Amino acid sequence: MTPSNKSTAEIVCLVDDDPGVLKSIGRLLVSEGLLVRSFDKPKTFLAYVQTNRVPLVVLDIWMEEMSGLEVQEQISVLSPSTRVIIITGREDPVAKLTALDRGVFAFLTKPFDAEEFLVAVRGALAMEISS
Amino acid sequence: MKPGEHRETIDSSREEQLSLLQTITMEVAAAGDLSSALEVVLRRVCEKTGWALGQAWVPNQDRTALDCGPGWFCGNTDLKRFRAASEEAHFIPGVGLPGRVWKSKRPAWIEDVTLDGNFPRNKAAGKVGLKAAVGIPILSGDEVIAVIEFFVQEARAQDERLVKVITAVAAQLDLVMERKRAEEKLSTTNEILQSILSSMADAVIVADPQGNFLLFNPAAERMFGRGATQTASSEWSQQYGLYLPDRVTPFPPDQLPLTRSIRGEEVNNVEIFVRHAKAPQGLWTRVNGRPLRGPDSEVTGGVIVCRDITEVKKEEFFLFDQSRVLEMIAANASLSEVLTSLVLLMEGQADGLRCSILLLDQDGKHVRHGAAPNLPETYVKAVDGAAIGPRNGSCGTAMYLRKPVVVKDVMTDPLWADYRTLAEICGLRACWSTPILSPQGEVLGSFAMYRQETRGPLPEELRLTQIATHIAGIAIERQRVQETLREREARINLAAESADLAFWVIYPEQKTAWMSDKGRVIYGFDPDLPLTRDLICARVHPDERAAAHAAFDRACESHGTFESEHRLVLPHGRTRWVIVRGRCLADEHGNLLELIGVTIDVSAQKQTDLQLQIQREEMSHLNRVALMGEMTASVAHELNQPLTAIANNASAARRFLERGNIDPALLQQLLQDMVADSQRAGEVIRGIRALVQKDKNIARSVLNLNAVIADTLRLVSSDVLLRESAVATEMDHTLPQVEAAPVQIQQVLLNLIMNALDAVESLPPAERRIIVRTRSLNGEKAEVSVRDFGAGLPKDRPDKVFDHFFSTKQTGMGMGLTIVRSIIEMHGGKITAENAPDRGARFSFHLPAARRDSRSEAA
Repeated sequence: MTPSNKSTAEIVCLVDDDPGVLKSIGRLLVSEGLLVRSFDKPKTFLAYVQTNRVPLVVLDIWMEEMSGLEVQEQISVLSPSTRVIIITGREDPVAKLTALDRGVFAFLTKPFDAEEFLVAVRGALAMEISS
Repeated sequence: MKPGEHRETIDSSREEQLSLLQTITMEVAAAGDLSSALEVVLRRVCEKTGWALGQAWVPNQDRTALDCGPGWFCGNTDLKRFRAASEEAHFIPGVGLPGRVWKSKRPAWIEDVTLDGNFPRNKAAGKVGLKAAVGIPILSGDEVIAVIEFFVQEARAQDERLVKVITAVAAQLDLVMERKRAEEKLSTTNEILQSILSSMADAVIVADPQGNFLLFNPAAERMFGRGATQTASSEWSQQYGLYLPDRVTPFPPDQLPLTRSIRGEEVNNVEIFVRHAKAPQGLWTRVNGRPLRGPDSEVTGGVIVCRDITEVKKEEFFLFDQSRVLEMIAANASLSEVLTSLVLLMEGQADGLRCSILLLDQDGKHVRHGAAPNLPETYVKAVDGAAIGPRNGSCGTAMYLRKPVVVKDVMTDPLWADYRTLAEICGLRACWSTPILSPQGEVLGSFAMYRQETRGPLPEELRLTQIATHIAGIAIERQRVQETLREREARINLAAESADLAFWVIYPEQKTAWMSDKGRVIYGFDPDLPLTRDLICARVHPDERAAAHAAFDRACESHGTFESEHRLVLPHGRTRWVIVRGRCLADEHGNLLELIGVTIDVSAQKQTDLQLQIQREEMSHLNRVALMGEMTASVAHELNQPLTAIANNASAARRFLERGNIDPALLQQLLQDMVADSQRAGEVIRGIRALVQKDKNIARSVLNLNAVIADTLRLVSSDVLLRESAVATEMDHTLPQVEAAPVQIQQVLLNLIMNALDAVESLPPAERRIIVRTRSLNGEKAEVSVRDFGAGLPKDRPDKVFDHFFSTKQTGMGMGLTIVRSIIEMHGGKITAENAPDRGARFSFHLPAARRDSRSEAA
């Protein structure tokens, strides 16, 4: 599991039901010097976000339990200040439009460019801090 | 001669003289005028004293000489000759006996006139034997009003007593005559005054301090409807129908001019409205009043003079009402209201006058009802919609001829032939109509006057017509302009509303802004929120804000225009796509005043674009599905997951390595994961292959390619329309049938047509053409070609387009044509790509004709 440190604000949460993807994205974020908390079940994350400050969450759309968009909808109620980046394995313009319309910070299609992804993450965190 | 010498010759006693005096006094008092009174004196004196002749002399008009008065007395007919001489004589003061008396104002006695040197009539006297004479002045105050003279035919010495008696009688005469003359004079003045007062148009009323009328002239009776009836002054207002200028409030009695003048006030120009049974319409009077004062300037009454100013007032009200109609026009009252007011105003100016206004229809050929509040409805309805022409009543003809038409009798005038019965029913007899013209001379309508008697217009009515047509012209013209404006405005608003256009203005100096309601909806501002430039700019999506600001600032600096397409971020995180176009307005000194512009909400369009993209992607997705069977999005997802993991792990490893702080154990694990994910991906691909194998078994049937093309074109027809393109077909009806899987052939056609549409997309709409053509190749093969007019294919090797991953499109996968070729080849056909001779690309494929018995076979 990735390191975690409750005292720091810059914890990036990851939610993806594919363990391979979850792990690899976590490593990518760690390589950027960020702290990561990974969740393979959306519900576990939603429980977490109710009691913890989450500046940024990276969500997969297609998950067994519930879709990333549903998770995002709940986050916007539970923790409006949390920025959301969505990653998906499927080209889905409707989902993309919906997500961007709801104020999702970035919408990336897998497989994505690592640098592009990290730029989005940094941007989201910068916006969170400044806001 | 000494007095008393002829005392005895006077045949009269003292008593007789007294009785003479009394008789004369009584008779003189009874006499009607001076001459008859003189006659009485002359006769009585002669009778009582025995003098033979008595005559009177009165000063002529300019008092330069004495003329012989008409009255005289003569006791002897012989003396008439002397009378005749006297009648011809005139005496200036001092000349003759009368002149001497006149001048001296004293009695004069002549013993024998024939011997007197100052007696011009001495010859005439001598002929009739007159000798003695006496002249007595009749004085009024200090003035001689007459001289009386008496003669006798013997010389007589002065008789002092007789002179006294006659003088006393004369004095009596004077007193009486003085009174009579005064009476005469007074009565003359009174007559003049009476005549003035009764003939004058102004009412004159005089009252004493108790309010009793002393004078109430006929004009006053006419004006106030009745003569002077004695009532308390507090009831005058009620009795004579006196009102304040509001025409309804009774005039306060203590403020009435007569009451005030009796109180000693001078009253100037008080207007009173009078209405009573004899003047039901009411009339207006302007009153001046003065107190009457006695010798010690105590008030002895009051007098008022009242002038009838009804006509003046009428004109004043007429002008006022005209200005009210003009105000109605200015306040944009409805045309029908304005014209009705105008007609009523005109009708109010003359008794029995009916007016109407007709409008000329926009077609310039028919009349439309304008206003006719007092004409029968039957008439109004019958006229509405009638045609204009050279013999179409007064109005239709006036509009047609563009000049006034006077019909004195509608029963006989040929212009009214078609309307006679109607006019008769409605009781109209004369009708004069004048066209209403616009300032440009265009006929707008007509104004007509109707009368129930046969006659032409009076000068006053012509004047009213002129005013009416002028005002009506203004009203109609204005209404037309307003209507045009309204229509234009409505059209603009409608266009703006339906185009989701927002209007806005930014005042750079004040940094304030205005936005239409629609704009506030688009930008998500509350209707009442005061807007500023910053508020509007803050709505721009952060990603596009810098670019939008730059365009805006450039426009401000150059006073030019700007256009920006960007997203708006609304409250609650919603976004909207908009196109903003603006323009700077500067004053004549080049100072920037404001920026005006429109914002167009293109979210829906973006949505459509997206949907279009989705459709297209679904189609290309279908292509893959057709080829790969049951390969679905979840398969793609499956493949994406391991690929993502591999890519991320590799990136992470590279970054760790770059930092040089990688834990070898972590690297080990990372590489292991990558191998595992690669195997996973391989599994997925194997799964797909299995599906593709299955795909070979898609059922084939005998097809007419023309029909498949028609079906396919139906599928894409909405896309073609959206892209403003046109697809033409040139079908060969002898095309042989082919044996193929219809879904797959449709995928091929879809692919080629969509490619062609993409190829022409950058051309102007008129040039976005595609031609789909079929051809029979000797009945053995069916050929289909799809031709576009776009940029064409790579010149060196057009066939390259069929290679894997070749794409001229930014978003293309480069898979479509590869799949197309595999489908065609699977069906035993061939596909080629080439550039058309002039421009564009042409894709052609052919399939072998189906064998006759193929229907029974299933592949």
